[in-house]
Amino acid sequence: MEIIFSTKSYNQKVSKRPRITTNEGPPDKNVTVSAEIIQRPDSTYPIIIRPYKLDISQFSDKVRDKMKFTIVNSSDSEVTLNLVADLPNVATIDIPEKIGARKSAGGEVKLLPSALDKSFEKSFTIEVVTGEATTRFTVPVKRTLKAPGADTTSQKAEPVAH
Amino acid sequence: MRKLIFATLVLVAVTLAVSSGFAAPRMVIPEMEFDFGFVPQNSEISHVFWIYNRGDDTLKIEKVVPG
Repeated sequence: MEIIFSTKSYNQKVSKRPRITTNEGPPDKNVTVSAEIIQRPDSTYPIIIRPYKLDISQFSDKVRDKMKFTIVNSSDSEVTLNLVADLPNVATIDIPEKIGARKSAGGEVKLLPSALDKSFEKSFTIEVVTGEATTRFTVPVKRTLKAPGADTTSQKAEPVAH
Repeated sequence: MRKLIFATLVLVAVTLAVSSGFAAPRMVIPEMEFDFGFVPQNSEISHVFWIYNRGDDTLKIEKVVPG
């Protein structure tokens, strides 16, 4: 079951508890999702992800199937990164295992061939370990495809002879 | 003869009732909470929760109400 959460203009800590009713009978069961919604994703700690939202949209026939991003360690100690939620059936995600203090490293999202003809909005979550502290970061990933039959090439009106 | 048919019908009915009474779905969700951590505003994010049926009848999800 996929829970989709739109962060809108929420601020700070938000929790949602969708309720599931089945033929098992009462009581219903709940799952809980929580998030720390931030206005300034370019100033997070201990890492900053650039860009903080990944848009792998494709508006022409040229296949666009991957996107690189940078993870900046803004702390004074080495961080260890773990991928705690990936993009199943959509993409593979490559992140560095460790980043040194005040260093940066690259990551990449690569779409699976079966996802190339799909539009979606999903996300993956990275857990960052610094000493005994752990912090999670979720990166939204969006893909929009050119609408069928839509012509996105720029066209100029031909001059008309009179 | 009528008594025998009646007794057989009662036995079949009782057997069906008892067997259906024991067969039941049982929903198990190993991970019931997920923390996204820091998330930018105006984003759409998602998480997949796995639902298992550990019972002996079909589990039907009748309704999911957003929290």
